[in-house]
Order: sequence, then structure tokens, then C-alpha cells
Amino acid sequence: MKKKVLCGLLTAAMVTGLCACGSGDGSGGGAGGGAKGSYDQVTYAYATFNNIPTEEDLDTVEEAINEITREKINVEVTLKPIFIGDFSSNVSLALQAGEKIDVFESIGDFNNCVSTGMAADITELIDTCAPETKELIGEEWLQACVSNGKLYGIPTYKPIALTPMIIYRQDIADELGIDMSAVNSVEDVTAVFEKVKEEKPEMTPLAPVEAGNLGLNRTYGTVDFLADDYNTPVGVLLGDDMTVVDFYSSDIFRDRCELARSWYNSGLSMKDAATTTSMAAELMSSGNYFAYIAAYSYPEADTAASLQAQNGNLPTGAKMLGDAYISTIDVNALVWMVASNSDVPEAALRFLNLTYTDPDVCNLLIYGVKDRDYVLSEDGYASYPEGQDAATVPYTAQLSCGTLGNFFIMYPTVGTNKDSLEWELEQNRTAETSPAMGFTFDASALKTQYTAVKNVINQYLPGLMCGSVDPETEIPKFVSALNDAGYQDILAAKQEQLDKWIAENK
Amino acid sequence: MIESKTFNRAATVILSVLVIIALLPIVLIVIASFTDETALLRDGYSFFPAALSTDAYYYMVKQGAVIMRAYGVSFLVTTVGTLGSVVLTTMLAYPMSRKSFKYANVLSFFVFFTMLFNGGIVPSYIMWTRFFHIKNTLWALLIPNYLVTAFNVILVKNFYANNVPDALVEAAQIDGASELQIFYKIMFPLARPVVATVSLFTGLCYWNDWTNGLYYVDNEKYYSIQLLLIKIMNNIQGLKANSSAAMLGTGAVELPGTSVRMAMAFIGILPILLIYPFVQKYLVEGVVIGAVKG
Amino acid sequence: MARQVKGKKKSDIHRTLPLLLIALPGIIYLIINNYVPMFGLFLAFKDYNFMKGIFKSDWCGFQNFKFLFATKDALIMTRNTILYNLAFIIIGTAFAIFIAILMCELGKRLRVKLFQASLLLPNLLSWVVIGFVAYAFLNADTGFINKTVLEKMGAEPVAWYTYQAAWPVILLLVNLWKNAGYQSIIFMASISGIDQSLYEAAALDGATKMQQIFRITLPMLKPTVITLTLMSIGRIFYSDFGLFYQVPQNSGALYNVTQTIDTYVYRGLMELNDVGMSAAAGFYQSVVGFILVLAANAIVRKLDSDNALF
Repeated sequence: MKKKVLCGLLTAAMVTGLCACGSGDGSGGGAGGGAKGSYDQVTYAYATFNNIPTEEDLDTVEEAINEITREKINVEVTLKPIFIGDFSSNVSLALQAGEKIDVFESIGDFNNCVSTGMAADITELIDTCAPETKELIGEEWLQACVSNGKLYGIPTYKPIALTPMIIYRQDIADELGIDMSAVNSVEDVTAVFEKVKEEKPEMTPLAPVEAGNLGLNRTYGTVDFLADDYNTPVGVLLGDDMTVVDFYSSDIFRDRCELARSWYNSGLSMKDAATTTSMAAELMSSGNYFAYIAAYSYPEADTAASLQAQNGNLPTGAKMLGDAYISTIDVNALVWMVASNSDVPEAALRFLNLTYTDPDVCNLLIYGVKDRDYVLSEDGYASYPEGQDAATVPYTAQLSCGTLGNFFIMYPTVGTNKDSLEWELEQNRTAETSPAMGFTFDASALKTQYTAVKNVINQYLPGLMCGSVDPETEIPKFVSALNDAGYQDILAAKQEQLDKWIAENK
Repeated sequence: MIESKTFNRAATVILSVLVIIALLPIVLIVIASFTDETALLRDGYSFFPAALSTDAYYYMVKQGAVIMRAYGVSFLVTTVGTLGSVVLTTMLAYPMSRKSFKYANVLSFFVFFTMLFNGGIVPSYIMWTRFFHIKNTLWALLIPNYLVTAFNVILVKNFYANNVPDALVEAAQIDGASELQIFYKIMFPLARPVVATVSLFTGLCYWNDWTNGLYYVDNEKYYSIQLLLIKIMNNIQGLKANSSAAMLGTGAVELPGTSVRMAMAFIGILPILLIYPFVQKYLVEGVVIGAVKG
Repeated sequence: MARQVKGKKKSDIHRTLPLLLIALPGIIYLIINNYVPMFGLFLAFKDYNFMKGIFKSDWCGFQNFKFLFATKDALIMTRNTILYNLAFIIIGTAFAIFIAILMCELGKRLRVKLFQASLLLPNLLSWVVIGFVAYAFLNADTGFINKTVLEKMGAEPVAWYTYQAAWPVILLLVNLWKNAGYQSIIFMASISGIDQSLYEAAALDGATKMQQIFRITLPMLKPTVITLTLMSIGRIFYSDFGLFYQVPQNSGALYNVTQTIDTYVYRGLMELNDVGMSAAAGFYQSVVGFILVLAANAIVRKLDSDNALF
């Protein structure tokens, strides 16, 4: 009896389950098209760092965009802003459930989006639906969004040449008479920190930029991470050599670890850097820290000016510690994709095209409705209306600027300099570029090894990069743990795919 | 037990120490929320901070409307959810407790099985959003996961099995009462102590929940207080994770600092602290009922 | 004869149907909320692809399970999960009994209520909040222990979040802090159920307080302890995710002593966002948990059939 009832229930469950999906596959997209006249309905999901606006406030922005899109491309748009922290999981759930999302961004997850089939192949569509964007972005950058010969997305167009910088307290540097212009590399920084420590013993010279990261991972120079992110690199290229090597056995890695260790031992860096829950801006605001190291794509003065507000308005300076080095991940860190189950891929791509080429659409997305959400000065700089700020205006996605479409057609904010745009464009074009630029790595066959290897990296890397463990003894342990976890398999697969890529592209 | 004076004193002393250990961490959090942010980062966490400040709470008052609304949503969901849960749970548990009910064991297993296996979020999400269309409604906070839980059902079942003799039911049956009458006239009122406990557990569950909101709600209108807290936290995390990647443009972000986070934790547990003295008795009874049989 | 059987059947239905109807709303809810989504478990055997959808994705056998056993992490996480659970069972139970005995000693005085309330309070806090609490004490630069306690004693600050040796103790303490009050109430109930005449007789025979505790109280608690322990063993493959993830602040240097099956799975999935693997992990824990619970239940049933769950 017991068994029968149970079986009955399970079958019932299965059947309903089957129905659930059977009916789910088709209905999601079709419903939208018929309901609202003859315009193609496109849902645009984007990550926002600001507050999520209320429905009513969002509607006005949507309507303003629709006025443009109806006429230009016969499309009506539904905006779907999602908190940055929830973005990946929400989008992937929604796509699995067959909810209507036509356009979304990959946040650092290009390969994953492609290998799991989330993104549609737009190799041919781009020529008919987004030729202007294709030209704007250029062949070289689009290569970074190609996997197995097919194009899966369009990178966001923004300054991508990330230059390592030290962000420091200008007032302290002036007070102690430190000449920051003489600081040109991360090695030069030590002497500055020592001086600060000596004169201001109550201060800690260096704050981590985030938990487990003193910012040194931005100072490797000419290292191409070959489609792995900056925080957990796996197999890399050093300089122009096209051999995939184990990064953690490299001299540059040992070098940085030893530097971090020496800072840690002489009290120049935050003791809890590997696990702190405070971020750089917060620590700097407390007045207890002198500097942190990070990478930015803006000129020194602009960077310093914009960071000062975040650092509790303490006088802030910025100094470059090296040159930018562009590789695939800088370009495909943020890629706009058309969902593989979109029912209107052409319309979706046409709308995407507008976000790159139409300043009105782009500015509506970023700043919202003019005079309600922002005001524009006579010389074309945007700011919040009198008495309002990012938290109180009905709509703003200002912190997402540079991630939505085209950074260079947005209004600059008050306090920045339009000339900087020229400098940034120039950097994009001229910064040193990896010879493997455009290579993407398909890791889907190595999921098991990746899980294990990332686990090992998370275990050892923060301690090493923050100097809280001794590189002398820990690096060998680290490397052997990596090898146990299947590290060599990944390196070999990478080399194999890279060789194939070279053969096809060179 | 036979009392002994020395032993008695020793017990009081030891327990007092344990109580202090239990409470001090909570006190530290509360004090931290009233500590000046820079003092906190300079001098560290302390029971006697150098500078006090209500900035953290001021920051939250600034977001006042949103927070009040979220509080309202939380109270509504907690009340309605708890009521619904109590009714459904008792109705399911009562038949299970009847020794003469031949499916009692099957039902017990049916209920218990749900404690062990679950299909994960993806199928649940598909079902609730595509079939029941609960996305962005208050139902989304109410219905999934918590309405009937195996733990509560077993709790109530044990209560009935141990405290209500079958003879009582038989007597009522002889008087000609129908099963339904027996349930709502006799059994439901009898269950008062355990209902109080189940209400507490369920209420706590609804109050502390944020996962339903995270998956099924993206309209700020329906944010509960916990969801709001978690969203703010997630946002800080998101900003943190990307602060080095320079995804940020050129804008100032006003981020809640350490003391604000402590204050958030505090306002999240505040209602629990306020209600606690009044309901402690039932909570204790519930723990006992749930764990061991009479 | 046949008539009689039929009659019995009829009254059977007559008796069971109303009860079934009363239970029906709850049953329907559980079917919808819990049983229907279980069909998702078969995703554990699929190579999930968004374009192909749930049903058209390719089967991949046990491929998704490989990552759970692929490396020597598997050994570490299994060891940690089981050892911590054992430690919590043994030390947690002993400590809870200790508190319960002390409480009962004080009888029904008002302060007992107060003690009980205070000790139970940490149990109501979420792990996120407890993670904050732990951080307030332990962080190296501003933490209470380093900044206030150790500094005053003139001792060197300790980087707690990288100091592996301390964490088994810290986790145990945090777990006790959160759960001891809750567990002690269970034992208090059992102790107050012990026949008072036993103590009176013992006192007459001149037994000391200690002797009474060791000779009467503890033996009388045995059945409760056995039941609770077996129940916990059924869940020995599960760990309290919040304790092992939130409290150590996800610190990499501590993985050797804080990695459990739940945290490993979570970390793996955060990186990969893989539907199939997450289903596989859930499947594995469910099945092992199911077997252990069945085994534990069978043992309980043998020892004390009243306490069996089903």
C-alpha cells in the first residue's frame, strides 16, 4: 500500500512536471508580440549599481525610449534593471524558466554564457541589424566575443585600458614632502610607505582594494590571463611567448608575493587584508590609511577627482604605476548578448545597436529623463537636479555608465573633463596589446578540474597576495595542490585551443 | 532534586557567567551601531567607544519611507503566513496522529520524505512563476516553502499523539459528531499550546526569510525588511567585487559603512527582541514538545 | 461473509475519507511545493544547455558527480563535515546537560527564567548577524579581541582569519553559543520528569550532590541522549552552511579546517553557475542523508520504538 501511494504521487508529480515545461517552451515569447500592436517587443535586462526605480518611474523612461525606437526600428522596449549582486543568478533563472529576456549582459562570464547556450549566435545578424556598431567596435575587439568561429556578443564600448595606479592621500603626501611624481613602479612605492609609517605610526600605509587583494594583481605588466579573470588566473601567457605557462610558478608572481610579504612583515599593509569586509573607499574614509592600489581607465586627475568623493572627501591623489596591457578579458569582461531563446533576435540586436549609436537612447538608459532625473549644464555636463542625489532621483543608472552601450556618447558628469575622453580613446587604441588578443577559451569540458582548481586558488591566493603567509613555503605547497587538482589538464587544453586559434588567425 | 546551598550558589554563579557570555556579543553589535564610524575604524570595536553617533540610524531614517514600507510588508506577510500555516499544519497533522486512521503511517512518511529530498530552486522557480504566476505579488513571499513544513507537522502530530487520548475522539463520535466537527470544535482548540509554538517558529521563519523575495520579487513595493537588508548588503558586495575592475564610472557612491551595517542587523532583530519576553514561555514549551515525547 | 467484508470496507471508507479530506489541503500543498519540483533531480544526470532547455539537454551519466569526488578536497570536506558534527554531538550534548543540571538545581526561581531566556536568545539570530558578531570580535585590525583584550595585555595581535589552529575551537564555541541554550531546555524537561523520590531516598542514604548527579540524573537521561544522538547522526553529512561559510568570512586560508560538503558545493557553484552539478550535489546529499536517516530510524525503532519517526 505504502509503495503504491508513493508511486502514484511521484508519477503525478512527474506528469505535472512534464506539462510544466511542455507548455512553458513556447508561450513566453509569443505572448508579448501580439498584445501591443505591431511593434516588436524587446526586453532589456541590465545590471544597476543604483537603486531599482519604482514601476511608474521606470515606465516614463521606457516610454521616452520607445518614442525613439518605435520610429527608428519599430521596436518597443521593456527595461529590466537588476541589482548587480543578483544579476547573474536572476538572469540565468529567468532564462531557464523561459521568461522573456531578449538582451542581457555577461558579467565576467562570457565563456560560461556561451558554453551553456545562453547566448545566441549573431555572426550573420550583426551585418544586417547592427552594422554601425560592428564598425564602431571594430574587428579586433569583436574577436574577443567569438567562440568556435561564431560571434556571441558585442563588448561594451568604454575605456578598457586599465592602468595600475596608486590612490593616495594628497594631504599626507604634501605634509611629509613626498614627491609622488617620482613613483613610477610598484617597487618605488615601498619607500613611500616606509616614510609614511615612520612619520605617522598610527596610520597603516596600504589598504586592500578588496578582500584578499592588495591591488598587486594589477601590476603584473605584460601577462595575458587567457580568458580567466584577474582574481583567479589559471594558465597565462608571459609577454610575447605563446606558450601557456603555470602562472604561480612564474617569477613575476613570486616577486609580487615577496613584496606583499615584506610589506606585511614591516606593518606597511593592513593585517587583515585577506579577509576584511571593508572596502578600500571605506578604509580610506576612516583616515587611517594612506593609499590603495587599483587599476583605472581614466587619466590620473579625473580618477583622483572622482574617487575623492568616495574616500570621505579627504584630499586624494592618483599616480600611475605602470602601463596598461590589453588582452581578451579586458574586452569581453562585459559583453552584451542576445538570448538564445529570444523570439525577436533581429529586433533585439537592432535595439542593442541603438544603445551604441544613439546618444539619446544611451543617455536615457544612464541618466533617465532630462530635468526630472538630471540636469544638463550649458557646456554639456550632467548632474543631479538641485537638492537631489543618486538616492533620491526617480531614475538613475549613473553608476552603470560605461557598461550600458557606448561610454563615449554619454554626457560626462560635472567634475570630469571632456578632453579626457580623447585620452581614453587614444589609450584604447595605443595601449600595448597581447599577441593572443581575441582568443577565447572553452572550458566546458574541464568543469571538474576548474571547480577543484578554483577552490585551491581561493584557498592559497588571498593569503599570498596579501602577504599574510610566507611565499617561501606556501608557493610550492600551492603549486603542488594545484597539480593535484588537475591544473595540468587545464594548461594542456588551453595550449591546444590556443595553437588551433593561432593556426586559424595568424 | 534536593537542594544544597553551596551547590545552589555555585550554579547561580556559573550560569550568570554563561549568561553574560551569551549576551555580550549582542550588546557589542548594538554599541557598534551607535559608534562613530571613524572611531570604530580607528579604535576598533569596543564596549566603551570614544565617540558615540547616531549617524547610522540617521542614514536609515533618510531611507525612511522604504524602510517603513518594508516593515509593513514583513508584518503583513508574517501575520497572514503564520495564520495560514497554523491552520494547514494542524489539519494535516491531526489525522496523522489518529491511531485508527489507516493511512497515518503513509502520511507520516509522505511528510517526512520532504525533509530529505528537494529538487532545487530551478524547478520550483519554473513552477511558481509559470503556473501560479506569483512573481512580483505578495503571494510570492507567502506561499513558497514555508506554509507547511515537515518539522511543524511532526511537532503537532507528536503533540496530539501524546496528549490527546483516542478515547476523547471515540466519545465525540458516539455523540454523533462528524470528523470535521471533532476537528474544529475539539481538536483545534486543544492544540493551543502547540499552535502557539508553531506560530512562533513559523512567524520567526517568515520574519527572517529573504530567499523567496530574492527569487520572486524585483519590485521594491513588495520588499520585506530582511530582503531590503540583504539587497543593500548584496549591493555593497557587488560594488566591492567590481571596485577594482573600474567598472564604475565617475560618480560618488554613498555607501553604508560598518556602523550602518551593524545598525541594519540590529533593526532586523529588533522586533524579535521586543516580542521575545512575551513569547519565551511558548518557545520553551515548543522546544520540549518538538524534541522528546511526553 | 462477502457482505460482511463489503460492509467493513464501506465503514472503512466512511471513517477514513473525512480524515483524508481534512488532511487534503496540506497534502496538496506538499505535493505542489515539495514533490513536483523533485522532478528537477534528474537534472543531475544532464548536461544542461539553455538553448536546448531542461528536457532536450543531453544526458551525461554520472559526469556531474565527478567534481564531488575528483580531488583530495573530497577527503578533507568529508572529514571536516563528519568530525565537526561528531564534536558538536558529543561536546554540545555534554555542555547542554551541564547547563540543564545547573538550571534544575535552582528549581523554579525567577532567575531561572531569566537565565533560560538569555541563553536561548543567540539561537534566534540569523547566521549573517552571527557572522557580523564574530567579525566584530576577531578581525585583526579593529576586532575586540585584538584591539581591546590583547592590546591591553600587551600581547601581539593575532590574524585570526588566517590562523587555522584556532578555528576548530572557534567554530565549536560559536556553535555552543548559538545552540547550547536550545538543547539544554530539552534536557531540563527530561530532568524535571525524573521521580523526586529517587533523590530523596539517595539523600537519606547520605549520597552527596555529585553522587546524586552521576548515579541518578545522568543514567535517567540516557534514553533522551540516545534518541537525540541518533537523530543527529542521520544528518551527519549535512553541515550548518552559515556556521562554516559566514562565520569564517569565507577565508581561503582556513579551508582546510572549515571546508564542508555544503561549502564546497556552494563555492564550486558560485564559480560555475552549473545547473547539472548543483543538482548532482543535492542528489548526493539527499540520498546519503536518506540512507543514514533510515538506518538511524531503524536503530531507534529497535531500541525504543516510541521514538521512531515513522
